[in-house]
Amino acid sequence: MIHAKSGDNYFLQQLVDREFTGTVHSVFKHALNIRSVADGEIFTLATTAMDNAPNTLVIDLDTLDNLHIKQNDSVRMKRDQLLIEDKLQIGIQTATCWQCHLPIFPSDTTKLKNNVVQVKRFIDLYGKSGGMKRSDSPVSEFEAETSRLLKQRTTLLHDGLCNRRLDSFQQYALDLVGLGPGLTPSGDDFLVGLFTIILLEGSPCSIYQPLCESVIKIMKPLTNDISYTTLKKAAYGQVRESIHSLVCAMLSGTETESIQALKKVLAIGSSSGTDIALGLISGLEANIKLGG
Amino acid sequence: MSIKVVIKRNTYFDSVSLMSLSTKANQIEGVEQAIIGMGTEMNKGVIRNVGLMTPEVEEATAGDLMIIVKTANADETESAYLAVEELLTNKNSAQAKSDIKYATIDSAAQGIPDANFAVISVNGAFAVREARKALENDLHVMLFSDNVSVEDEVELKTLAHNKGLLMMGPDCGTAIIGNTGLCFANAVRKGSIGIVAASGTGSQEVSVRIHDFGGGITQLIGTGGRDLSKEVGGIMMLDGIKALDADEATKVIVLVSKPPEASVEKKVLAQIKECSKPVVVYFIGGNEEAVVAAGGQFAKTSKEAALKAVLLAGIDEAGINKRALNVPLIEEVRAKLSPEQKYIRGLFCGGTLCDESMYLAMEKFNNVYSNIQKNPDFLLKDINVSQEHTFIDFGDDDFTNGKPHPMIDPSSRIERFLQEAKDPSVGVIVMDFVLGFGSHEDPVGVMLPAIIEAKQLAEKEGRHLEIIGYVLGTDIDKPNLEDQVKKLIDAGVTHASSSTNAGLLAREMVLKGDHHE
Repeated sequence: MIHAKSGDNYFLQQLVDREFTGTVHSVFKHALNIRSVADGEIFTLATTAMDNAPNTLVIDLDTLDNLHIKQNDSVRMKRDQLLIEDKLQIGIQTATCWQCHLPIFPSDTTKLKNNVVQVKRFIDLYGKSGGMKRSDSPVSEFEAETSRLLKQRTTLLHDGLCNRRLDSFQQYALDLVGLGPGLTPSGDDFLVGLFTIILLEGSPCSIYQPLCESVIKIMKPLTNDISYTTLKKAAYGQVRESIHSLVCAMLSGTETESIQALKKVLAIGSSSGTDIALGLISGLEANIKLGG
Repeated sequence: MSIKVVIKRNTYFDSVSLMSLSTKANQIEGVEQAIIGMGTEMNKGVIRNVGLMTPEVEEATAGDLMIIVKTANADETESAYLAVEELLTNKNSAQAKSDIKYATIDSAAQGIPDANFAVISVNGAFAVREARKALENDLHVMLFSDNVSVEDEVELKTLAHNKGLLMMGPDCGTAIIGNTGLCFANAVRKGSIGIVAASGTGSQEVSVRIHDFGGGITQLIGTGGRDLSKEVGGIMMLDGIKALDADEATKVIVLVSKPPEASVEKKVLAQIKECSKPVVVYFIGGNEEAVVAAGGQFAKTSKEAALKAVLLAGIDEAGINKRALNVPLIEEVRAKLSPEQKYIRGLFCGGTLCDESMYLAMEKFNNVYSNIQKNPDFLLKDINVSQEHTFIDFGDDDFTNGKPHPMIDPSSRIERFLQEAKDPSVGVIVMDFVLGFGSHEDPVGVMLPAIIEAKQLAEKEGRHLEIIGYVLGTDIDKPNLEDQVKKLIDAGVTHASSSTNAGLLAREMVLKGDHHE
């Protein structure tokens, strides 16, 4: 039996309070997604290579390779164990509980302003291209066109945000959903970052919070289930631990702390971390502008 | 133009794999454009914009994987698609591939009865137990793990010694056994020179220089960094010397280490006296007289150690490119540096490479600080803040706690490099870039944007900033040595041809008459 190391509070509650049953949705080297039979929600089992995240249980395994778990394998709770067929047994009693609590947007933005400059500079140098960050040599016309549209649409969304154009927010955001070839499309990743900032308590952009929820209600068919779940959670202020750490560091930490936290975010996916970080920057710059 | 579209329902690849597959697919011969991506409405819109929309693409949904291959001619389309499909299949089979894995040393020893060597890299808490099991199964051991007590190290090495086995480590990161590099090592020619080393990058440097001078390696035996301490007593180095002395293929032996504890040095030198083969001793900052008295060949630098070894091995001196120091360049740089630019800042991934440059600087300056200085008066007060001449070993525990070693991820130096580059008192920054097994796939590439930024900044401020880069690697290493060096030179970095030359160049460039301290 494998032990769970830590788990999202909501997921642990679902496992304990309900007789959780599900099926395997998708399997990767470091993450395994499960679709709940009760409501279709996606939950994730992550290896120790991953950080805590909404709807996620981190289990004491380095890799999920060689477990022979396949799509549609059944998943169920039995006593205190989560079972995937007879291929994996996970004890959940050992899991420490984790929940994302986003920080409050500070009234003094001196540190933030400096950190935004430094983080942008670092992304410029070391962010991964292929998504929001345009590659100097795109591998195909498709990639070049995707980058062009991402740039155009994120600029529209950012400008609208800075000019309090509430009427256009929903459409501009929806134009980004599903844009990008990856498992979590670049447009979705950017929105995860942006929504995170909008959801901060005291955020000058908080007027957009209800609009994030309305985007979520409409967007489901526009992207895949995994990305939808991530974005939906972000719209309610629930993001993975590395993103949370970056936001905290940028709001009130030093330049060094911000860059250290940024490096962990940049390591997410292929260009996903870069796209998320650019979404955070967009929201923080809008906050700085709107907050005076 | 011909297009083939295949839609795979509810198929998911992680983003890193998708990007990698997409890049490879676009490089397949005959492919004008390949798209591998999720079938979202927005992506379909992009496909429409680039003129590749088909009825099949229209029907794809957000959970489907779309594969679109465009070729110039219809007769190429099917074969191009099959090549793309093969990439996907290989990716899947690589994921599903099940190598034989053994959960314990005992089962591995039973499963592979011919094995005689175990490389162990587990949490320090379990390392002793696993190493003991391996030795009990008559396996030589290379123990990469650290956090092993000195008492346990002595016990393991004594057990190995009594059984006639090698106990390399704990904390042994470099070895070449039977021409196979283990953990961090370089691809080098097979030859007649054997190395016993208590220092990882020091032994890599000596092996690489031997290769460069036309020689080759029989075995490179690592001992672990603590072997020459008083407590351990050099058990492994003594056994290593004996093993190479008994090895027919080895004609010359090279010892590499920081200076041993005095009583241990005596034992090692006594062993040299008994050795039937010439022994070159490179103990950084070591004592020449004692080595010579023991009948050894003393080398002050890594380059000298390699050169002496290849000459003793019979390589014709006339054919060796000794990589002489570029003296005119030193004068040129001195003239460019302002009087305020007095200091060297060494930022190293390799501990021994750092040590070598530091010791060379200490020969001329009395204000050399480091996080690995032996003299406590010259230990940095704050490792994040440089003092006068400063040499940082980024592989030291201070910097690696919870992070990968900088040879695996050299990006840990970036911020410090930019910090040093802004300091108007800095004349020279010297850095190493380590290639080979276990190291980063593009160590120069990682630093390049920061180097360019630093150069531009200095230029803007009207300063000349001299950056020296040394790439530790051979012409048969991966990544390609020549490419890595070219990247440095193209970015305006002065390329040093060896660790020794890097240290000498840095020292001499800031050494002006009126700044000599």
